[in-house]
Amino acid sequence: MSTVYFIMATVAAFSLGGLLLWALRGASHRTGHGHGLQALERAPQHLRNMTQIRRAMDAGDLEFVMAKGGASLFSRVRRERRQAILLYLDAIRRDFEQSLHIARIVAVLSPEVSGSHEYQRLRLSISFRFRYQAVRLGLLMGSLELPQITRLGQMATSLAVQMEEAMAKLGERAALAADLALQSDR
Amino acid sequence: MLVFAGIPTFALALWGAATLLTLILLVRIIELHRYREYPRFSLYLAINLLQTVLGVALYQVYGFASAFTYRIAWTSQAVVVVARALAVTEVGYLVLGKYKGVWALATRILAFCGLVSFGLALYAGRVSYQSSVTTLEIGLEACMATGLAGLFLFARYYRIGISPELALVGVGFGLFSCFRILNDLLYEHLAGAFGNAWNYGGSAAFVAVMLVWIWALRKPVAIPIHEPQLRPATVYARLIPQVNERLVALNEQLAQIWQVESPKS
Repeated sequence: MSTVYFIMATVAAFSLGGLLLWALRGASHRTGHGHGLQALERAPQHLRNMTQIRRAMDAGDLEFVMAKGGASLFSRVRRERRQAILLYLDAIRRDFEQSLHIARIVAVLSPEVSGSHEYQRLRLSISFRFRYQAVRLGLLMGSLELPQITRLGQMATSLAVQMEEAMAKLGERAALAADLALQSDR
Repeated sequence: MLVFAGIPTFALALWGAATLLTLILLVRIIELHRYREYPRFSLYLAINLLQTVLGVALYQVYGFASAFTYRIAWTSQAVVVVARALAVTEVGYLVLGKYKGVWALATRILAFCGLVSFGLALYAGRVSYQSSVTTLEIGLEACMATGLAGLFLFARYYRIGISPELALVGVGFGLFSCFRILNDLLYEHLAGAFGNAWNYGGSAAFVAVMLVWIWALRKPVAIPIHEPQLRPATVYARLIPQVNERLVALNEQLAQIWQVESPKS
């Protein structure tokens, strides 16, 4: 038995033991899909603020503030807008988590699941979480400058339509999933 | 009682404790009719006891130094490990079996992990009979521990509740497998330099696991976990691609923000 094999297998054994205990944390307190309905009721919440967020990303406003109100007001408005973008990001994250939650309910209650769909969702959730933290960190460190915020605003504007369409579709799906959650609780 | 004369007192005490606890657990399971819920687990305990009886008979007749005894003892150990693997699959079924779709997916993925472990074990254990048995055991234990960790990860990902009793039974199997891997690794790597310590370690771990299982199965009836009412497969087929599309859209939205931000960072 080589030393490399010995070390790798030892690390693997400890890792497996740790993973096992971690995976079981709170296992008996999990409510399964009981919270499905609650999650669905909250689903379209952040879209109500979409118009305000779009306004907050308007570069013209900032230029006007700089010209009329001076540097102090400009920096204050800029800081507040950054906060608004952070809130917007957080809303996207919540929306993502809720969609993920709905998908889990459906998968758990289905007699057949597709490996590729499940894998796609897992991959997406990992990628999303990584990007979310990276973007959030960038915003907190103030690395997003005015032109970038403008682009972000333009992008958000163009995506708003898609979001609204997606949410409308999700509304139909949410009704179905709510029905699933209700039936599973009976 | 000549067979016990050559065994160190501590090893004998551990062996006796392990046998007694196995017997207590098996009797308790039979008494409470829990073998209906855990048939493979009960079979594993029974095989364990039979192995003990076989071991005593072999050592009594052929002695400890006999090559025949050595081979039979290791072969019986393989039977015990296979019985344990079957008991582990039972734990898996009890956790995820009600959720047919997730269970089918989990078995495919975890079976793949098992095949990989077996492949590695067969490749590494081609030196000698003794080494191959130990390495095969390491492979099987790794396979079981991976399967259990994977199983509980599946349950965590899908927010599936597990009764404390079943969780303890699973943890017992998982940690025992991890311990056996470490024990076998040390034994193989140090070429048995620790002598009886290998046996002490294995027996002590088994005693600890038995105590966990006795505690887990102390109640006559398991606490029922929410029984799911499965929906037609068409619901998943219709809904999931749409939800995934939405997740892709949200992910792309974030990716675009990332792309805007990344040149600056």
